[in-house]
Amino acid sequence: MKPTLLITASVVLLSLINLSCGRSEADRNTILYWSSNNTYEIQFADYITKKWNDENLIKIRFQPVPEGQSSEEVILAAVVGKTTPDIYSNMWQGDVEAYAQAGVLIPLDTLDGFLEFIYDRCDSAVVKEIRSTDGHIYQIPWKINPIMLIYNQRAIEELELDSVPGNYSQFTNAADKFQADLNGDGYIDRWFGYAEVQVTWWQRFFDFYPLYLAASGGASLVKNNKAVFDNEHAVNVFKFLRNLYANNYFSKERLSARQDVFLSGVIATRFTGPWEIAHSEKYKPEGFEYDFHHLPVPDNHEGPIYTYGDPKNIVIFNTCRNPELAWKFLRDMINEENDLKLLELSNQLPRRKNIDQNSLYTGYFEQNPKMKTFAKQAKFVKGTDASPVLKEVFDLISQQYEACVIYGVKSPEEAVKDAADAVNLLFLK
Amino acid sequence: MRLRTKITPYLLVTPYIIHFMLFVVFPVIFSIVLTFHKWNIISPMEYIGLNNYIRLFKDEVFFRSLINTLIFLVIHIPLQIIVALFLAVILNQNIKFRGFFRAAFFLPVIVSGVVVTILWQQLYGFDTGLLNRLLVSIGLGKVGWLTDPNIAMPSIALMATWKNVGLYIVLFLVGLQTVPNQYYEAADIEGASRWQKFYKITLPMINPTIFMVVILSTIGGFSLFIEPYVMTGGGPLNSTISAVLYIYKQGFFYYHMGYSATLGLFFALIIMAVVVIQKKFVERDI
Repeated sequence: MKPTLLITASVVLLSLINLSCGRSEADRNTILYWSSNNTYEIQFADYITKKWNDENLIKIRFQPVPEGQSSEEVILAAVVGKTTPDIYSNMWQGDVEAYAQAGVLIPLDTLDGFLEFIYDRCDSAVVKEIRSTDGHIYQIPWKINPIMLIYNQRAIEELELDSVPGNYSQFTNAADKFQADLNGDGYIDRWFGYAEVQVTWWQRFFDFYPLYLAASGGASLVKNNKAVFDNEHAVNVFKFLRNLYANNYFSKERLSARQDVFLSGVIATRFTGPWEIAHSEKYKPEGFEYDFHHLPVPDNHEGPIYTYGDPKNIVIFNTCRNPELAWKFLRDMINEENDLKLLELSNQLPRRKNIDQNSLYTGYFEQNPKMKTFAKQAKFVKGTDASPVLKEVFDLISQQYEACVIYGVKSPEEAVKDAADAVNLLFLK
Repeated sequence: MRLRTKITPYLLVTPYIIHFMLFVVFPVIFSIVLTFHKWNIISPMEYIGLNNYIRLFKDEVFFRSLINTLIFLVIHIPLQIIVALFLAVILNQNIKFRGFFRAAFFLPVIVSGVVVTILWQQLYGFDTGLLNRLLVSIGLGKVGWLTDPNIAMPSIALMATWKNVGLYIVLFLVGLQTVPNQYYEAADIEGASRWQKFYKITLPMINPTIFMVVILSTIGGFSLFIEPYVMTGGGPLNSTISAVLYIYKQGFFYYHMGYSATLGLFFALIIMAVVVIQKKFVERDI
């Protein structure tokens, strides 16, 4: 090998090693911010960082979370490889506890002015919800997408109901009237609703979990390393859903690979979030009208009707060399005006108290009346419990859900008890 | 000069040795070490002795996944061999459009497993699937191809056979073409029937190919993953969760790296045992 070739190869190799070992010297004087790779959030992050960089000496470098099978996997890989950004703004609340216990997140309540800010932004219930088991707060509640019931207005009107079905009896009665065998082959081909029947743990965010929160007034699934969902609320939800599948009011067949079953009238309702608005507006057939309603609750339900908020929060990783500056930037990024910008760009609700009554947002809600329904619901949303094994908890519930609700091979009482026992075993390990 | 002659072979094999140490020896040793630890990737490893092994022997879902894999193999391997051999024998004749059929049967082999799986998911659909439409059109009832716990795994085995049969047809064709024609001519003179020629000449002569097909489809069957992952997620009621899918779920869904390594090690031992047994019996008896 010629000496020049050898030297060139060595230089290239050393440069690669240097690149892979971390951020360059120039990068150390900036804050690296990863946003979600959703188009609208990229627009928002771009806007916010440009604005900041125009006014400040220390710059924020923004990039969407790198592509991967899921952003959760990318973040995990970054944590393992110690290549985390300073700020990440699309953290699923359920992941935070595991990262907090691994010591890779900055406890934000140790930063100057954080607690005053957070109590000013959120209700005390939200602050309690995001507090970690060690007493610190590692996440800033940023945005939510509450799960509600979308319904086909014309289909509901044609059923001649007094109101949109709001409790279990009303829902099943409406379902009974709506279901039909349109092609006369002896099989139901029009159902009242649809929820994914797959056992995948996060599918329960769109059926069991929001309905459990609705029935229980926002109760926890796990608390102090113990399952606390072995109760009448969970049993009632299992009974309700099991009834829907047993009577063919909901399809057991996967319908997600077909043309949108809601917009094509194959189903009349679905448990979904505000992202459905943009989709429906784009693809709905002419004359199709829809609206949103709270989730069905037990007939004797009293009090507020909660739901799952699907919260995405902001964290600062401990690889950040200047957490105070990162916090200063975040404080600016999620102020009232910028929250409005987020809302306008992405139609995702900032998680701040009384957003439906704040005059700053009135104009937006007047222009987007369907989002107002979600803003009203935002008072009664819950995220997830603080537990490092939350995915396993949802998976164990999912296993029992499938056995009881979809296939009816277990009674609701048995299924809920078995799920709770399995979760308790999980905490013993 | 002598030193150089001595060193050169070592230098030549060094890249492979490094690759082998990094990507085979190190992962195997690391996996064995992992089986005695609890590790979720982000926190430090915690030594837990034999707890992972104790958990394995109490894990009903893992044993269910082994039974599912066995069910898959029991359906898939004989079906694969019978169909592949039958088609190979036909395609070995002087039939019209032979080249076209050979290419057509091989086509699914080169199509991505995920694509094939998604296509079959549509075929198997309860309400809109072509298979059920066909059944209804001839007056039969619909079948829950992927939603009935008793039928889901056979459905997957059927699809896997369709996907892989082309490869085994090629192997059998190679085997069939090595059978000397004189044997068949002698059998014709003796007045042997078609079946006798196939049973007495063809089968014994392609014995090594059959053995290879059995080994390859066994190993392929043990690594069953894409089909249940995409089509059913392991359901309904864990009836299609394969051992590999379960190991993957433990490792990369829940980050139970220690437990996943334990399952992987146990499963590797099972595969080794099965292949040794197959080698001992199948090779001799056919």
